[in-house]
Amino acid sequence: MSTLINIFQLSWQVHNKAILKNINFNVCKGEVIGIIGPNGAGKTSLLRCLTNQGNILASTNVSGNVQLKNRPLAQFTAKEVAQHFALVMQKNETIFALSVQDVMKMGLLPHKSLFSLDSDHDKAQIALALQKVGLSEALHSHFNQLSGGEQQRVLIARALVQASQILVLDEPTNHLDVYYQHQVLQLVNKLNITVIMTVHDLNLASLYCQRLLLLDQGKLICDGTPEEVLAPEKLSKIFGLPCQQSIDAITGATQVSFYLNDNKVQHSDLLEKVGE
Amino acid sequence: MNKVSTILIVLVGLVLLSAMVAITFGPADIDSSQLMACLVGNCQNPIANVVIWQVRIPRVLVALVAGMGLAIAGAILQNTTRNPLADPYLFGIVSGAGLGATIANISLADNLTIALPLAAFLGALFSVIIVVFIAKVLQRMEQLLLAGVAVSFMLASITQFILYFGEPFATNRVIFWLMGSLARVEMSNFYVIASVLLIAIVTVLALHRQIDALLLGDESAASLGVDVDKLRLLMLGLCAALTATIVAYCGGIGFVGLMIPHIVRQLIGVTTLKLIIGSALIGAIFLIWVDVIARSSLPHAEIPIGIITSALGSIFFLFIMYRSRAIT
Repeated sequence: MSTLINIFQLSWQVHNKAILKNINFNVCKGEVIGIIGPNGAGKTSLLRCLTNQGNILASTNVSGNVQLKNRPLAQFTAKEVAQHFALVMQKNETIFALSVQDVMKMGLLPHKSLFSLDSDHDKAQIALALQKVGLSEALHSHFNQLSGGEQQRVLIARALVQASQILVLDEPTNHLDVYYQHQVLQLVNKLNITVIMTVHDLNLASLYCQRLLLLDQGKLICDGTPEEVLAPEKLSKIFGLPCQQSIDAITGATQVSFYLNDNKVQHSDLLEKVGE
Repeated sequence: MNKVSTILIVLVGLVLLSAMVAITFGPADIDSSQLMACLVGNCQNPIANVVIWQVRIPRVLVALVAGMGLAIAGAILQNTTRNPLADPYLFGIVSGAGLGATIANISLADNLTIALPLAAFLGALFSVIIVVFIAKVLQRMEQLLLAGVAVSFMLASITQFILYFGEPFATNRVIFWLMGSLARVEMSNFYVIASVLLIAIVTVLALHRQIDALLLGDESAASLGVDVDKLRLLMLGLCAALTATIVAYCGGIGFVGLMIPHIVRQLIGVTTLKLIIGSALIGAIFLIWVDVIARSSLPHAEIPIGIITSALGSIFFLFIMYRSRAIT
């Protein structure tokens, strides 16, 4: 697999506090990478640097190098960055009655010139992207009236219209119920493009990502397969809770469970107690 | 043809019809055959010719472009700040213009024809520069609007202080000017307003996709390659220039920028292209007819146009509040 992104010794310091410390890793084409870690570990900050949001790489507080296709990302214009990275943010609120079509058309922006209008090709792209996320019927629906899961799917479809090579998602399953969490991540997994996402739920990250990056206090602690990264001794130390690793009987994915020190009750014990 | 295209075609027809019909209104007794003859350059009555070409047509044309401009300025501000209550007046533009006009009235009483609109324009720009400066320091949208309100009150209080100690005739002139009127507009005013309006429309049409991207949040827009700060400053500057030009010639005409985009959103759509075209057309129709009411309601006097727009605007908003209560 060819390398798309190279990150060398990336550090970010704000008011003497290190947000990111000496981060090094590469991203290859087609990988689905999950960034995990506790709150404040630097997951979203890493995404900001990775996509040069707000031209953060030009800041004197940031050192190191982020390269996209062997060229420093800081040298790309904002439009070029948008042609390579499609971002799906945590919060996307609008008080105006935007239709799904209006939101989808925003994805065309990085490829459009001034004064440009929508072509038939654009309309076909929008229809195709909505079809891929299973929302063909929602073209004229109001974005605000969709469920959280549907809104995320629309934003992923917008990212498809943006035709970027790398899809970046910041906590895509936040505020979603279990059904939509799986639906959204399954969809992301099937797109066959490079995906980098922050995920809070370690078991979801394990199930849907080929590779995980574990961050803690701005440091990259571990980079590897879910089985390697979700090692109980590492997770126990970082999250401050005893942890157990297992293999899910149905999916075959590595799973972890945490329990409090003063309440060492396991799932199997609970099942015994209820007589199953 | 889709619904939006049909509505826009009907609106273009209504703008032309409104402008034509509005020319027939006025105290001078000119019948339709005389009017038509004067319009096609075959006028037998020189007085009717003067009334039509130097009074009525400039007035209707200024109403048309001022209505377009105020509605467009409101629409741009609302979409770029994601606030449906954003209005050029909320940014202190009229208060700044009022202060400029007051200073001109008090200090340059002899040559007000040029000095009044020029001073009003400079005052409006001054207020926007302060608001933009505060916005740059604060970098928060909700505080940008509050900064506008604060600047508006500050400049209004300075104006009132000057007027309180000023000469009574000058005070009267300023108060009447602030109420808004198209009674003294000339064809040259139309050309100036139309030029600024054209620049504003072309700029917004060029950047309509960037402005739309702001509707889903600054972060989202930035991720699509938009320089959010630069775009917002450009749009604020554009609205300031547009409103200041209109206020300089027509005085204070409130609520148009607040009311018209609201109607357009319900009727045509929320994205910038639809909102700007719809606001321009409905704004033009609205102000042409408000001006007709202003000059034909009373037998030998005119009602200041700003009084009518404010009255209609407040009723409109009570209606909107009642309707949203009924929905929720």
